[in-house]
Amino acid sequence: MRHFFTAVIEKNATFEDDFTTEPYECAWASEARWFIQVADLDGKAELEARVQVSPDGLFWCDHGAGFPTISGTGLYTLPLRDFGGWLRLNCSLSGQNPRARVMIYLVLKE
Amino acid sequence: MKPTLTNDIQLSKYNPLPRILSFDDFDEGAHGWCELVGNHNGDLNELQPVFSDMRPPQLSTCTFFDLGTHGSMNGTYSLKLATRPRQFHQAVGIKRLTSPTNGRGQVETWFTYKAEQTFGPNASEIRAWDGNYHPSEAQFGSFTIWNDICEGPEPGQRYMCALRYENTNEAGDFTQRWMYKTALHPTTRMLQGGTPSTQNDVHVARTDQWEPVPGGNQQLCFNEVPTKVNWHYLRWQFDLASRQNIELQVNDLTLDLAGVPVLPTDEGYWGISRLLNFCFDVRTTSNVRNFLYLDSVLISVDW
Repeated sequence: MRHFFTAVIEKNATFEDDFTTEPYECAWASEARWFIQVADLDGKAELEARVQVSPDGLFWCDHGAGFPTISGTGLYTLPLRDFGGWLRLNCSLSGQNPRARVMIYLVLKE
Repeated sequence: MKPTLTNDIQLSKYNPLPRILSFDDFDEGAHGWCELVGNHNGDLNELQPVFSDMRPPQLSTCTFFDLGTHGSMNGTYSLKLATRPRQFHQAVGIKRLTSPTNGRGQVETWFTYKAEQTFGPNASEIRAWDGNYHPSEAQFGSFTIWNDICEGPEPGQRYMCALRYENTNEAGDFTQRWMYKTALHPTTRMLQGGTPSTQNDVHVARTDQWEPVPGGNQQLCFNEVPTKVNWHYLRWQFDLASRQNIELQVNDLTLDLAGVPVLPTDEGYWGISRLLNFCFDVRTTSNVRNFLYLDSVLISVDW
């Protein structure tokens, strides 16, 4: 059987500013998939979510992958490989008084 | 008769009761340890704040910026609980079983704990690094081992035992002692019913509801800097027949817990008959992430 773990990285969280998700260790997995469930997106907001990687969970750089710009509610996903030992999302919100309520999942498989 | 698998290096570091219910080596996955989440009706807005963000456990390599991968006691991976970098945030991992009978239960683990590496001066550096002492140790709050037991639906049949290693108190001062709680866990139903709660500790409504276990002062091996981990042995035994804690062993300290009160809930709880949950949590008293790492966990019983 293959190993599998889904981590709820953000649970029904509301953001009104840019944010990064908490560091998550993923060295054991060779494949990952992010899901962002956008429940609310107010203020004509747009959400940009870029994948970041790290050697130590402290210092981060862009992986190169990212979600297409999110401008409405719904479920969005992004597959990923070659990410080393840590993953997080670097997210920015634009718009007038933007506000986003989201679930963010990291799905890991080996 | 005890298991005597002394030729099994994974088990010989433990001292189980006769029947092993689970041996969770985190080199082989999370073994059912998952994030605790509070009760809700499908609408996550209904989650009580203290139960709303207890973070997913991680399979950690104990990798640090200065030395690379530390690994676990046996193998590469341990189970890591990690708080947010926010004062009084708490991360909780849970494993859920039920019990066929009332008898003794025991949880053993090899664990270590850390505050995340920080850079530059911060509030905890009242006592500066001197080549031996490192201020990171003062940035670690506490970790707690606990259970949640319910014999049946009648009032008084649910109770929880909890033992906390308090490294620093709410003010961030070193206390380094084992604690027990003197009040009930506020369940979701109690909180919805209006039980006042500071909502910053999943165990108690007020953080002054913890008391020191007599003889429970203990300095553990933080090992100076935030990137060196030393694995500690812990063994906790409790008895479902007498609803008592029995004892807690952490390295060379063994505490007789028979006198530690265990408080049952006044109300009955529906649909959780024979509940037998096991939990670990870590709670930060600083604005620094705190981590609890478990190399492995062994749960055994005497029946």
